[in-house]
Amino acid sequence: MSLTLRLVKTLHHILSKAGRGGSLPGSLALKLDPDFISRFHMPGIVVIVTGTNGKTTTSNLIAESLRACGLKVINNHRGDNLNVGIATLLAVSSDSRFNVQADAAVIEVDELTVYRQFKNLHPTALVVTNFFRDQLDRAGEMETIIRKIMEVTEDFEGDLILNGDDPNVIRIGENVGKAKVRWFSVGRCGVSRGTTDEASEGKFCPRCGRPLKYEYYQYSHIGRFCCEHDGFGRISPYLQVDAVDFHDGTFRADGHVFHSFINTIYAVYNCAATVCVLKSLGLDETRADEVFTGYELKEGRNEVFRLSKPCVINLVKNPTGTNEVLKSILSIPGEKNVCIFLNDNDQDGHDVSWIWDAHFERLNDPQVKTVVCSGLRAYDMALRLKYEGLEDRVMVIENSTKAVKWLDEQNMDSYIIATYTALHATRAILRKEEHA
Amino acid sequence: MNLRILWMYHDLMDLYGDKGNIQVLKTRCAKRGIDCSVDTCTIGEKKDPADYDLFFMGGGADREQNLIYEDLIARKEDIRRAMDERTAFLLICGGYQLFGQYYRDQDGSEIQGLGFFDYYTIAADRDHRCIGNIAVETVIDGVSMKAVGFENHGGQTQNVSSPFARVLSGHGNMYRSEYEGFMNDQVLATYMHGPLLPKNPGIADQIIRRALKKRSGEVTLADLDDTLEISARNIMLDRLKVSH
Repeated sequence: MSLTLRLVKTLHHILSKAGRGGSLPGSLALKLDPDFISRFHMPGIVVIVTGTNGKTTTSNLIAESLRACGLKVINNHRGDNLNVGIATLLAVSSDSRFNVQADAAVIEVDELTVYRQFKNLHPTALVVTNFFRDQLDRAGEMETIIRKIMEVTEDFEGDLILNGDDPNVIRIGENVGKAKVRWFSVGRCGVSRGTTDEASEGKFCPRCGRPLKYEYYQYSHIGRFCCEHDGFGRISPYLQVDAVDFHDGTFRADGHVFHSFINTIYAVYNCAATVCVLKSLGLDETRADEVFTGYELKEGRNEVFRLSKPCVINLVKNPTGTNEVLKSILSIPGEKNVCIFLNDNDQDGHDVSWIWDAHFERLNDPQVKTVVCSGLRAYDMALRLKYEGLEDRVMVIENSTKAVKWLDEQNMDSYIIATYTALHATRAILRKEEHA
Repeated sequence: MNLRILWMYHDLMDLYGDKGNIQVLKTRCAKRGIDCSVDTCTIGEKKDPADYDLFFMGGGADREQNLIYEDLIARKEDIRRAMDERTAFLLICGGYQLFGQYYRDQDGSEIQGLGFFDYYTIAADRDHRCIGNIAVETVIDGVSMKAVGFENHGGQTQNVSSPFARVLSGHGNMYRSEYEGFMNDQVLATYMHGPLLPKNPGIADQIIRRALKKRSGEVTLADLDDTLEISARNIMLDRLKVSH
């Protein structure tokens, strides 16, 4: 047995006994052996999930669905999607000879680093959810991310499970030789619109640079489009979702009715990717519905805490995610307070200019009583809202405990949105303040 | 009194929240009873920059910059006329670069700029990309002030005859350089995103003054309550260990 693997397993064992998880073992492994990840004998099914938004949810839905089909599955369910997290997952799931003890591995991988680990993980399928503008200071330009993924998938021989409704993702499917491209697509539904103020990408055909013509938008630049000049965007979906019913929270695919785990368009896309994976593996697609029905979103995804009145917290990372969260907050009737925690640590991105690309003007709704701004860049957030005419309803409480206490004292429904590094701290405060 | 803004390539050169600058200009005008109208202009659209008091252009990713490039060059004479007729210019990042001599990318291929000014830009390797919070000190039309923003550019701009500001913390025109941007009495060009104007209301007001000057002459702008703006700016100055 390799000394590194033994050390890592021991460290993980000790940490778990002490009630601590985390990716410290993986971080040690990669320090001792930079090629650690490539040493594993992977299972017969390896599904990599990447993209900007929806990675954690989609990979969890896929993993759970494969389990529901009777497979033994490992996955980084908490979204530890960088090298250290992946190394930890593999180390603790393998025997002493680096054999991963599972029928399938479902691995969420950060879209910025996926090109580095892709071949080492021996994937049999790659799922790409979408590409939105996200943390540009960390990511550089989105163009670079797409190009790097295109490079590693060029000679890939497995299944490419791709969102056929995202022009950025289609580019990956266009650039392959041997891979089997399986598009998933969601048909026109109640939220589809002919025009949009949300799309910052997808305006021009990546092939010829002429404007793309959209039949409809679902959200951001996701929708049905094509280039009238060269036909870019005319895909034939492997999995077509239709009959999306936001009243019942259901949709149809391949003649089966499925129940979405939350009633939003992006959730339908997460489900579509999952059903598409099962179908490509020849598994019983209807098993996924059992998972969707009972699926509880992970930490910070529409998570409810019992303050004096219910308090719902959501993670936001970029304009598109924020726009969708704001829509869902405002679709719920009744007076409410909103609280925004804006941090600019490494994992949030140092550049907070993205708040000017998100549609915070939607908070200018009479049902929104007060918007509390908190976190390291609370004043930037307050300023953003001031320029949407919300000046009289904005309040800065930099200290996060005080902000949560204030929400609790108001005896009113509240909605918190928090950037990545603010999320865990805020959840800890909410747990403490929660009423029995 | 009214102010007419031409917002160039609003749909393509809109990286890093640069659209926030327009919102700030509109709001600060509205609060003073100045009627501010904004027209957008994208590829192929016919608009005469000389009809406007302020020409605004933001930054874009390389891909977008290549898309607009030919269209912009075709407007060169129109833009020159607008300059002759005293239109004010606010140019961010890509907009700044394209008003110079040329931009040479990492592969060595060059695109010609509009050539109105002597500066030119050469892309740096990845290790010399200028990314991060920035604080500067500037004097605009006799008013001195400190300003903060976020820079994120690979391009190293050289041969700048009259910079916009002195760097107090951050990179500026080149990796770890002393000066930021370009400015004359009509054009303010900078790498500073953030966006630039919300946290720097002093710059916003100087831009408004310059734009109004074209048709209304020198104007005095009423003071506004900038408590939030100043707080947001000072928090960043503190973090960068720069005095207020």
